Amino acid sequence: MDTKKVPAIEVRHLTVSYGARAALLDVSVTIEQDQLVGVIGPNGSGKSTLIKTILGFEKPDVGEILICGEDVQKAKGKVAYVPQRGAVDWDFPITVKEVALMGRYQRIPWYKNASAADREAAMEALSLVRMTDFAGRQIGQLSGGQQQRVFLARALAQGSDILLLDEPFAGVDAATERAILDVLERAKAAGKTLVVVHHDLATAAEYFDNLILLKQRLYAYGPPAAVLQEELLSQVYEGKLRVFADLARKEGAR
Amino acid sequence: MNLLIEALWAPLTETYFQKALIGGCAVALVSGVVGCLVVLRRMAFLGDALSHAMIAGVAGGYLAMKLLFGIEAHAPSMLLGSLIAAVITVALIGLVSRVSRVKEDTAIGIMYTGVFALGVVVVSIFRGYIHIDLMHFIMGDILGVADSDLWASVLVCAGVLTVLVLFFRHFQLATFDPVMAASTGLPVLLLDYALTGCVSLVVVSAVSMVGVILVVGLLITPAATAYLLSDRLDRMMLLAALFGVTSVIGGLYLCVWLDSAGGGAVMLFCTLQFLVVLVLAPRYGVLARWLRLRRLVPQQVVEDVLISVLRQERDTPLPVLQRYVQVQQPTVLHKALRQMEQDGLIVVTPDGYRLTEAGDKEARQVLRAHRLWESYLASIGTPQEALHPTAHRLEHIRANGTVDYLDAKLGQPKVDPHGQKIPPKQGNNNHDKPNQES
Repeated sequence: MDTKKVPAIEVRHLTVSYGARAALLDVSVTIEQDQLVGVIGPNGSGKSTLIKTILGFEKPDVGEILICGEDVQKAKGKVAYVPQRGAVDWDFPITVKEVALMGRYQRIPWYKNASAADREAAMEALSLVRMTDFAGRQIGQLSGGQQQRVFLARALAQGSDILLLDEPFAGVDAATERAILDVLERAKAAGKTLVVVHHDLATAAEYFDNLILLKQRLYAYGPPAAVLQEELLSQVYEGKLRVFADLARKEGAR
Repeated sequence: MNLLIEALWAPLTETYFQKALIGGCAVALVSGVVGCLVVLRRMAFLGDALSHAMIAGVAGGYLAMKLLFGIEAHAPSMLLGSLIAAVITVALIGLVSRVSRVKEDTAIGIMYTGVFALGVVVVSIFRGYIHIDLMHFIMGDILGVADSDLWASVLVCAGVLTVLVLFFRHFQLATFDPVMAASTGLPVLLLDYALTGCVSLVVVSAVSMVGVILVVGLLITPAATAYLLSDRLDRMMLLAALFGVTSVIGGLYLCVWLDSAGGGAVMLFCTLQFLVVLVLAPRYGVLARWLRLRRLVPQQVVEDVLISVLRQERDTPLPVLQRYVQVQQPTVLHKALRQMEQDGLIVVTPDGYRLTEAGDKEARQVLRAHRLWESYLASIGTPQEALHPTAHRLEHIRANGTVDYLDAKLGQPKVDPHGQKIPPKQGNNNHDKPNQES
């Protein structure tokens, strides 16, 4: 390996549109390896689109994305993903164990069945998030936090070095949020790069090494102290200035 | 007894019945399996659209062969024609919903009726040339299956099942989570087309048996029945295939015994199966749901018991509880007490009921909510005499930080309007965590 590490994710001049509306406009971000990065911005600011484009699901109009120096369309399977809770059909006939096993699908040739080793790896991923006891449950019969952990296990089972998480903390209580964060921090310690869509500005500074502030355009990218500036936030979150003014002051006092 | 065996055996000796059985089972088997994906992807309407579009294709295929080669009712070209019509309809649906503000369900409705109407008009204009019995087409004729149809359905069954079994994981992942499927390099769009192709094949091969109108039922009803019984896709597919086959067998006997229309009898049997499962399914059935609801003890009753015992400050006998806890039926109180005993909130003593440590903690939180609500009500000018009864109703509203909000808003009062102490907040309050972790 090179002494100088290749960036985990390199986004260059990315523009993605739905019809005439640009979801992302000229976004360039370089995410180094072993980072826990938060993506913040108001609703409809293109956070999920950014995630889906990095996954290669949305095609950019302009720009390119490099995953460990390789074009995203060629780097299939190198990025794992935890979907937003609302994007999952919780009535789908599938068990916890099977969801975790899905993380291994990309390694199984199409003409073969999942091997014992694959099943073991899936169970191991479940044990990392302490969900082995629920392996046989249908996914709709879990609490919100447990559901998040199952999908986290699936992402871990993929063995990718890059994990993208879309609002993993939405709709879970404080204790669960803590538990999920623990898993994320352990993954980071194990050398993974994590990009997390997050909507709670109050905890953003505490959780992440770097923040991406997004509203169609990239407004700021850097350490929390630099991003959570009153001026920047007021540009992005119009009209909710007062709340964030307090926050920025608190952040400045740290 | 002999009569029953005779009734079961006699039809089996008839060729038409054997053919109907083989063809029907093949079609039902494969449509059950494919139907699972159709149901899970919410594509049910698409099956309907495909079957209706077929008539234009059949007419087109018939007409083309007749005019070009003078061949009458050439089965393969009619089959090909219906496949082409199906694909064109799907493409048109996609086009209309993409380029206009018309949503997909409306686009499906417009396109399939349009193509169906085109087929009907063509068939009636060229009735001198082509001899297609519209009624046969609409109702199907499972008891008069032609050998060519039989072969077609068996081949479709084998082919589609092979594709689905080989690529089971791919279809599963692409259906469950298309974003992840794409990110691991699965050709999601190609899989969509492959599935639509499979559905078209199945529909085309099934129309000759059960007709245009009922074919969508054969596609989705067995799958929906299986959906109520299964928590895994592979088992759901197996069950759906089983339900499909049993409804063909049951329907065929029904049709022979009652001398009714074949397709109708099959679908009727299929629907009855669904209804029975809908009621009796162990987890997702109506009966199970009703029993669960019946067993459920209203939280309000539990809280009323807790707070009554707490206020008594000693072991509380049943008559006292019956006076303070309002329930619609006396059995609810008994059920609540039993449940609370099981949950370790109360214990039975010779003098009545006593709170356990956990019960006491819980009760104090209810009391805290009650007194904070009273303080709040007093602060918004509620008359003194209405304070207690109103707060008694409101004390059950405790989830997601309601109590903390009241506490903060009122400036963390120590006593309520009656001068009674408000119990302090306890960290371990289950009510703020409906999704408790284990």
